[in-house]
Amino acid sequence: MSAIEKLFSFEGKVIIITGAAGAIGSAAGHLFASLGANVVISDLNEEGAKQVAAAIEKESGKKTLGIKTDATNEADLEKLVKATLDTFGKISGLINNVGWGANTPIWGSDTDKMVKSYLLNTVGAYNLTKLCMPHLEKEPNASVVFSGSMVGVTPSPEFIEYSTAKAGLMNMVRSMAVVSGPKVRFNTVLIGSVDNGDSTLAAGYTPEMLKALSDMFVMKRRGAPIEIAYGMMFLMSDAAQWITGIDLRIDGGGTYKSKMPTKKD
Amino acid sequence: MEFNQFFSLKGKVAIVTGGGNGIGKACALILAQAGASVAVSDLKLADAQAVADEIAASGIKAIAVECNVTEDSHLVNLVDRTVKELGGVHILVNNAGGGGGGRENPRNITVDDFAWRFKLNVYSAWRLSQICAPHMKDGKYGSIINITSMASINKSPNMSAYASSKAAMNHMTANLAMDYGIDGIRVNAVGPGATKTAALASVLTPEIEAKMLTHTPIKRLGEVEDIAGAVLYFAAPVSEWVSGQVIFVNGGGIQTLD
Repeated sequence: MSAIEKLFSFEGKVIIITGAAGAIGSAAGHLFASLGANVVISDLNEEGAKQVAAAIEKESGKKTLGIKTDATNEADLEKLVKATLDTFGKISGLINNVGWGANTPIWGSDTDKMVKSYLLNTVGAYNLTKLCMPHLEKEPNASVVFSGSMVGVTPSPEFIEYSTAKAGLMNMVRSMAVVSGPKVRFNTVLIGSVDNGDSTLAAGYTPEMLKALSDMFVMKRRGAPIEIAYGMMFLMSDAAQWITGIDLRIDGGGTYKSKMPTKKD
Repeated sequence: MEFNQFFSLKGKVAIVTGGGNGIGKACALILAQAGASVAVSDLKLADAQAVADEIAASGIKAIAVECNVTEDSHLVNLVDRTVKELGGVHILVNNAGGGGGGRENPRNITVDDFAWRFKLNVYSAWRLSQICAPHMKDGKYGSIINITSMASINKSPNMSAYASSKAAMNHMTANLAMDYGIDGIRVNAVGPGATKTAALASVLTPEIEAKMLTHTPIKRLGEVEDIAGAVLYFAAPVSEWVSGQVIFVNGGGIQTLD
């Protein structure tokens, strides 16, 4: 193993990934398993989680667990932690990747929608991290990575529930980081618009809107899920042992000027 | 992308300024470990030569170039020699720089002293990027990594010249990312916290170190390898959709000299 391979080896590590049946989470699962980790693929979509886990196990030869988790259900989160410990005996890393937001006009939200978004995008990550902490603290270079979003930084009137929850998530991560070193590191990957294939089209975006969005990035394209996973890998690796509390923007150079196009654009 | 391609810099050529010691040396070594040929530039040729020799001993091509980054002719020569002897430029680490170590009392510092910090920390990186960019475009791969400082966002006593020059570097990074992005060149910056180098040793006392660590979640000062790891991430194909970013490698905290 070369010095560089050693720096990015995850041999002997156990990593939980939430929202892992989706594009970014599953890309991360494949990547970490290929680098030697046992990964736990958690998703609300049980069939999806099991399929991704089976594909990872087949590809990498690493034992992989697929499990159904509703990130807003505390009993489910407890089950996820228990299943991980029962299967692999430890937790070395956690990727709080689950999240979702509806396209809502700025004055079209209400208490129930706002609270539900906060529970899913922010509180779920808090609860799962809290449950994992006693186990993470026992592991060398333990680390938690959160999937943030560029809408949590830029004004995002069309995603008012999601963007405010993601903004809250970022500050939560900073608070976790300042009190949890040197045992556990906490960082956010701030994600630009990623090409999820058909799911973005299904959410109501037209190909013309997506082209307009691509053109807003310096790199003139949306990101690939694996490019987000690479950032997660860097932040969890031994190369990043003195990095905690940062937001790593993976956004084609464009966060500060991009805005999701609306139908009016 | 297979693992060996994530960080593989085989066939790439890197320039590291201030590469003879400390953070620059660690950057030169890690880029070479990833397979890049390296032009090690330093004010002190002997220091650059020692690093180039260490890289060459591992079977990777390296040259040492004497370079004062505030001299335009030196910057032109650095790029000329790199292109002639190593075949191009794909990666530039603007690491050379410096400050007053907390001795820039604004009541006493001269205009020339103040301008000198900007020449050393801002203009040199801007100009070297300008000279390298056409080669990066031709070579269809470009990554510029500016070594900024945590001082760029801290409020520190007697550091107004150095700190503001590094803040300028942060914003220059974001702007150049826009300008050079269309040529496929990425521009990012790494901001080290207090890192164990000779430069830090000149001002560090056990008392200062203890104080620095009270505000540092990861309870140690930085090692040069911590900084080099972040530079490798930005240099490698693994970060192809990342540009205009400044990340701080500082143990999550702030370490100031006051």
